[in-house]
Amino acid sequence: MSEGSVEALFDEFAVAYRRGERPDVASFLARAPEGAERDGLAELIDRFLAAAPAREPSEEEVVLMQARLQQEPPLLVLRLRRALGRDAVVDALVSRLGLDPAKREKVKRYFSDLEVGVLDPRPVDRSVWDALSDLLRANVRDLAGLRVAPPAAEPAYRRFDEGFVLERRAEAPVPLDEGPDEVDRLFTGTA
Amino acid sequence: MHDARDAEDTRLLEAGEKGLLVRGYYGVIIDRCRLKVRDPERALDVAHEVVVRLMSELARGRRYRVPFRVVVHKVIEWKVKEHFQSLRYDEELDEWLRRASADSDEPLEGDDGFRALLDGLTELEQAVLRLRYDEDLDFGEIARRLGKEPNAVHQIHFRALRKLRGRAA
Repeated sequence: MSEGSVEALFDEFAVAYRRGERPDVASFLARAPEGAERDGLAELIDRFLAAAPAREPSEEEVVLMQARLQQEPPLLVLRLRRALGRDAVVDALVSRLGLDPAKREKVKRYFSDLEVGVLDPRPVDRSVWDALSDLLRANVRDLAGLRVAPPAAEPAYRRFDEGFVLERRAEAPVPLDEGPDEVDRLFTGTA
Repeated sequence: MHDARDAEDTRLLEAGEKGLLVRGYYGVIIDRCRLKVRDPERALDVAHEVVVRLMSELARGRRYRVPFRVVVHKVIEWKVKEHFQSLRYDEELDEWLRRASADSDEPLEGDDGFRALLDGLTELEQAVLRLRYDEDLDFGEIARRLGKEPNAVHQIHFRALRKLRGRAA
């Protein structure tokens, strides 16, 4: 049984599963050559999962399904499960990321957008995900990229552009928002 | 193998803890949907449909003569089938669930856990897989238990998985 064979991968998966771990099915499938081998592995694991006692769901899985059932963004559901107010999360973010407290409102705007799924999570800096994961005790990065419910169209993220910031500054008098800075870099990858 | 979980499911059902009962299966529902439907978002859509169907089934207050996990896996299979065939199978699923109910004695094809998985393998192959995946033994321990050489156990194990894979295909 060679190391990368379907049988070896299945064995590794099944042993981990029965030991109470949560082996990731997608990662295992990705390790099998695409085509018949991968399909064979998927079938074997599927038959095993249908026969073995169900493992306990992870916190992320519970949040994901609850979010779908409640038609709410997963990050919002997670925060509410943790009984944390948005302001508490924002304060913790400012502190953990070592940001200027004067930028708190800007952080709050970005976090609110991220939480409800209107900010593209892809360019958000790893330090933000790490801080949020610590705070919310879950893999926040994976949850943030998922849409709320089965819509017909792809999610439309607001794209960062300086014009938007300037326009927003003009319409909402937030005095300390002086254009792209460290907060923008952390949440949009642009500064 | 399933006794403790089945007993807990029965307790939750009798206590009316339907949400907790279904929540306990979120992991396996998502895993199986991801295996069948490779697109992660679409897989979650199907998983969501499975959960909604299970919740609505429980809301009807029906009791089953099979463990709840069997109902869960049957609903997963039907919902995955619906996804790939772009058809609704509500009637077929309803019919299976009706036959699975406690007040029916009609024949019922269904999952029988590990026994169903091992069906068709030789006794020795079944023993190796049970010791490996049910009792979590390494190959050396399995060999000692069965009075075989470790190499022979490796071969039996490989052959058994090959058979399962062939049957699945």
